[in-house]
Amino acid sequence: MTQAQADDTRVDWEAALVQRACTGDSRAFERLYREHAGRVYGLCLRMTRDVQLAEDCTQETFINAWRALPRFETRSSLSTWLHRIAVNVSLAKRRKASPVGPSLDDEEGTGDALEWTLETPVEVREIEAAIGALPDGARDALVLHALYGYSHGEAAQMLGVAEGTCKAQLHRARKLLRERLHVEVG
Amino acid sequence: MSGADERKVGSLRELSPAIEPARDLWPQIEARINAERSITAAAPPRPARARAVPPRWLAAAAVVASVAVGVWIGRSLLPAARPGAQSPINPSRASFVDAPTALDVAYVSDPRYQRDRAALMKTLQARLAALPPPARAKVMASLAAIQGAKQDLQNALGKDPGNALLQELLVNTYQDEMRVLTDVHYAGDAGRGI
Repeated sequence: MTQAQADDTRVDWEAALVQRACTGDSRAFERLYREHAGRVYGLCLRMTRDVQLAEDCTQETFINAWRALPRFETRSSLSTWLHRIAVNVSLAKRRKASPVGPSLDDEEGTGDALEWTLETPVEVREIEAAIGALPDGARDALVLHALYGYSHGEAAQMLGVAEGTCKAQLHRARKLLRERLHVEVG
Repeated sequence: MSGADERKVGSLRELSPAIEPARDLWPQIEARINAERSITAAAPPRPARARAVPPRWLAAAAVVASVAVGVWIGRSLLPAARPGAQSPINPSRASFVDAPTALDVAYVSDPRYQRDRAALMKTLQARLAALPPPARAKVMASLAAIQGAKQDLQNALGKDPGNALLQELLVNTYQDEMRVLTDVHYAGDAGRGI
């Protein structure tokens, strides 16, 4: 079986689970949860930087997903759909915790075409700590773009900001990471 | 710290997006889903649902209702004690009103709720002491009844965590407790009865 065939099978399997979950089969929804919980929790944890809050956000994400599942279009990616919900939930929780956040709306976006390679390899925990220390907006953009692979446009849409703002945040994230890790981030 | 954390990477894209939660979050998700589902399913045939509830829980519901009525009577019939109690800037009341839906049992773990409740509990004894004896006795009886109802409902939920009606009753008891505590707080401020 080729990788493409394997992906197709996986998607079909997932679509079948979604269909079953839509009819109220919670066992099917649990399998979807098991499949996606790690990535959703990883996103929530990196956005909130708080284990308890990230757990709450993850639960909220899946409960919201359960409610909205009948409206989910199986042609689109369940993973992306769940991440959108997770971002919304995390942003809302974070806004509740600290309502005012910095804005980069007026800055020029220059975060194009970054590969996010490091001049010299760095330990995972060191990078995670550096990412965790970034300001909220820069960290959100970095996590969605560099770790989850979303385009600038997709990340901007998920975060509810202009694409230019997202690029500016990525530029800022790159600069701050370079300063913190003492390596060039290309 | 795991070996994975000590691994070196040459690009951010090598970081795993997935992080497994330290505990299994599914049981709570499932409980919430089941609660919502049973409410939806039970909505049209009301009488059948009511018959399925053991009389003990109806008794707990009655306790909660009677406490709420008692609080209402206390507010309505006794001298006005809280000149500013209805103020929208009352933080405790505001956070209570803003609390999630009645079915959201998880709201009792809401840090805002816990903070407000802890603040009210901290000053409870002093506020009670400032009340006239009849009002104090009434408040203490209400709080004891609420505590008993909470305990019964929590025990019941331990055996049947997905029971939406029990969850709703439990949330109601928490809300009643907050109402009583808030009233005591402002009655104590005014130095008069509840």
